[in-house]
Amino acid sequence: MGNTLRIGTTVHCDVLIIGAGGAGLRCAAEIFEKKPGARIMAVTKVSHPQRSHTVTAQGGMAAVDPRDPVDKPVYHMFDTWKGSDCTADQNIIKKIVDASWEQISWLENHGMHFSRDEKGGLSKRTFGGMTLNFGESPAFRAVFEADRTGKGIMDTVWGEAMKGGISFLNQGIATELMFSGDRCVGAIVFTQKGGEFVAILAKATVFATGGNGQVFRITTNCRQNTGDGLALILREGLPVMDPEAIQFHPTGIVGPGILASETLRSVGGILRNKDMERFMERYAPKMKELAPRDLVSRAIETEIREGRGILNPDHNIQHVWIDLRHLPDYVHDEQIPEVTGFFKKFVAIDPKKELCPVRPSNHYQMAGIPTNEFGEVQRGPQGLIPGLFAVGECACASFHGFNRLGSNSILELITMGKFVGERVVGCLGENPGELPPEAGERTFRQFSRLMEAKGKDHVGKIRDTMQALMTDKVSVFRAEHGLIEAIEALKELKDRADNAPLSSRTYAMNQELIQRWELDNLLAVSMVMTQAALRRKESRGAHCNEDFPERRDEFHYHTLASMTEYGTVNFAKRPIDMSLFEAKGEHYEKFGLIERKY
Amino acid sequence: MSRVYKITLRVRRFDPDTRMTWVQEYELEAGRILRFTDVFRKINNELDPTLAWNSSCEHAQCGSCAIKVNGKPLLACELLVENAITHFGGTIFSIEPLTIAPVVRDLIVDIDKAYERVNKAKPYIIDPSPRPAGDKEYRIAPRELERYVEATRCINCFCCAEACISSHKNFLGPNAVMASIVRLMDPREQAREERLDLLYSEQGVYRCHTSMACSFVCPKEIDVAHFIALAKANRFRPGPS
Repeated sequence: MGNTLRIGTTVHCDVLIIGAGGAGLRCAAEIFEKKPGARIMAVTKVSHPQRSHTVTAQGGMAAVDPRDPVDKPVYHMFDTWKGSDCTADQNIIKKIVDASWEQISWLENHGMHFSRDEKGGLSKRTFGGMTLNFGESPAFRAVFEADRTGKGIMDTVWGEAMKGGISFLNQGIATELMFSGDRCVGAIVFTQKGGEFVAILAKATVFATGGNGQVFRITTNCRQNTGDGLALILREGLPVMDPEAIQFHPTGIVGPGILASETLRSVGGILRNKDMERFMERYAPKMKELAPRDLVSRAIETEIREGRGILNPDHNIQHVWIDLRHLPDYVHDEQIPEVTGFFKKFVAIDPKKELCPVRPSNHYQMAGIPTNEFGEVQRGPQGLIPGLFAVGECACASFHGFNRLGSNSILELITMGKFVGERVVGCLGENPGELPPEAGERTFRQFSRLMEAKGKDHVGKIRDTMQALMTDKVSVFRAEHGLIEAIEALKELKDRADNAPLSSRTYAMNQELIQRWELDNLLAVSMVMTQAALRRKESRGAHCNEDFPERRDEFHYHTLASMTEYGTVNFAKRPIDMSLFEAKGEHYEKFGLIERKY
Repeated sequence: MSRVYKITLRVRRFDPDTRMTWVQEYELEAGRILRFTDVFRKINNELDPTLAWNSSCEHAQCGSCAIKVNGKPLLACELLVENAITHFGGTIFSIEPLTIAPVVRDLIVDIDKAYERVNKAKPYIIDPSPRPAGDKEYRIAPRELERYVEATRCINCFCCAEACISSHKNFLGPNAVMASIVRLMDPREQAREERLDLLYSEQGVYRCHTSMACSFVCPKEIDVAHFIALAKANRFRPGPS
């Protein structure tokens, strides 16, 4: 046993990518294009890159086609700025929007199976918040691959990374970063299959570890999205940005949490409470079910909190109904077949005849590891960490500010993936680092603590309690007293976690050990999220503080939060880039501190 | 709505530390719409934290949770308790890992080994065709895409490979073969000879016995056998077919 807690193998490569989803592998493909033969290693927690969360993205990717006679990049930039509640960085918005169509072409040229129009070009569809002429009318801006756009991206970038000669280490977790002076020189990785610790030395290390949806009980995120990347950054004493910025989708399917698309409401689905009342009439008399995502989410949560929800006994989850029974058969069969299929398959309900259970579900973290426009990780308000990059949902540049628009997330993966790849190539001339003498020691201390824990508690039960707590107090609605309670409760859960023994002391494919390690990550991320939410005494985008329902200009900054010991969170600020506004070019006035009203 | 079933899972387990294999029985109560992934989680939380199983997206889009239930390969996330009872006609279920790759622990197999066959089929465009002059993208008519788009939905869960009656050793397997066929039907691929060589090699489509088990078990309801039949009928060679 003692023999296991040592570095079994040391590996050298040019680039280490932690996380092999859409962003990580787009980055890898770019490196291979610029530098064929580069030695890239990608470590992923899932059993294969095709199992990454990217594959679940359904709808589409926003990009203004330069041949489009009516759409313009500046409209896309405006929509993103407005959607972000004026909290995205304008240099990032411009960079991503300007690069978007070229990246769509890249995917198409490399084999992605986009849906096509009659002329054989790429089909486009509309998406909430994506408009022409600064909000005038919906824009046909999102290209897509049927209802599986994310899978199309994943298959394409996986294929290209493989073609370039990448080495994958599947079912591995990065537990510690290695530094030589200031410079990041790689990471310690624990291989689940072999139960071995590997030191991977690299000239550049790229975080692409995805989101943290498992903080919440009801989430559209996959089982592995436990905020590992953010937690690792926190353990290194580095800050994460805007941890309080978390998006909730109004209609997740109870209990699997699968997204029931906005389409259900746009084709005429009606939300009802347990008394069968069409409650949206009270919250948005004009728009009713078609009100914006956050408003609908809050309406549903209010119904549930005031006792007008319905309890699903199998999953023990409160919900409301979406009523689709009145819709004609052709709407069911032609316009919403996929979502109808989800209800049939995962909750055994026929939406033509029965009411369907939905409730707000955690969907996306705008939060992330702070980076500049090249994906270089920031040490704080100033200063970069040489050799360390972050990209994708785990990173925060920030393109989405405090609220992300649909069809902007997978766009960010592929554009920033490319930019980070380009930048990484610049590092490849560096000398390879050497194994630092203390490498692995923190990991071994952590793992022996997990392995040796004594007590009567249970990892799964602590996780369930934490998820319920965060869903109750730190999700759609946040209130001062609830957040304070949550902070205390999280500290107790952390103590409980330290007294949760493992049933088996084996290292090879010990799922309970991994879950215990993940629980530390979830608890760390939950703590900074809750404290950051408490500190932001306003409402902005997805962050809704009931005690302060308005956006306030004094909070017009990004939160930087780091944690020295559990519960002690330190804060700093990063200014929001407003270069489009400051440039005073055409339409600059649209990029000031505008109202987010639809 | 609130019906609860008492079910029994007989799970084939394997411990790599002792190299022991055994069948362990778990009895538990489960609501009618719990998925088998929820049932495994319940076992971990209430009965046995050591039972190892795999999942990721848990809505049939990633293929991680493929296992055999009463001998049938399927995705555990798609199987609801009540549906399983109706489908299999009982409340006792035999749960086994797939046999397409060595078992790592319990229900987890070494999927990297299984993927080696997909990798052989090169699931990417080997040699891109020239693009039409002046266009940034290829043009593919919806009619042309329609011929093969079904096959692009494959998630490599390996249920088809598990159900296939041809030997795992000698045949690349339905999903791997289909990965190459997609690119033969995709006008953006030029490396046709290389792909045809693989399809008609020792490990290629003539190993298929046309049982059509692949189409029967595919969780994505892809008619895998149809694509293999096209290859067997020599439909991808130029000239008369």
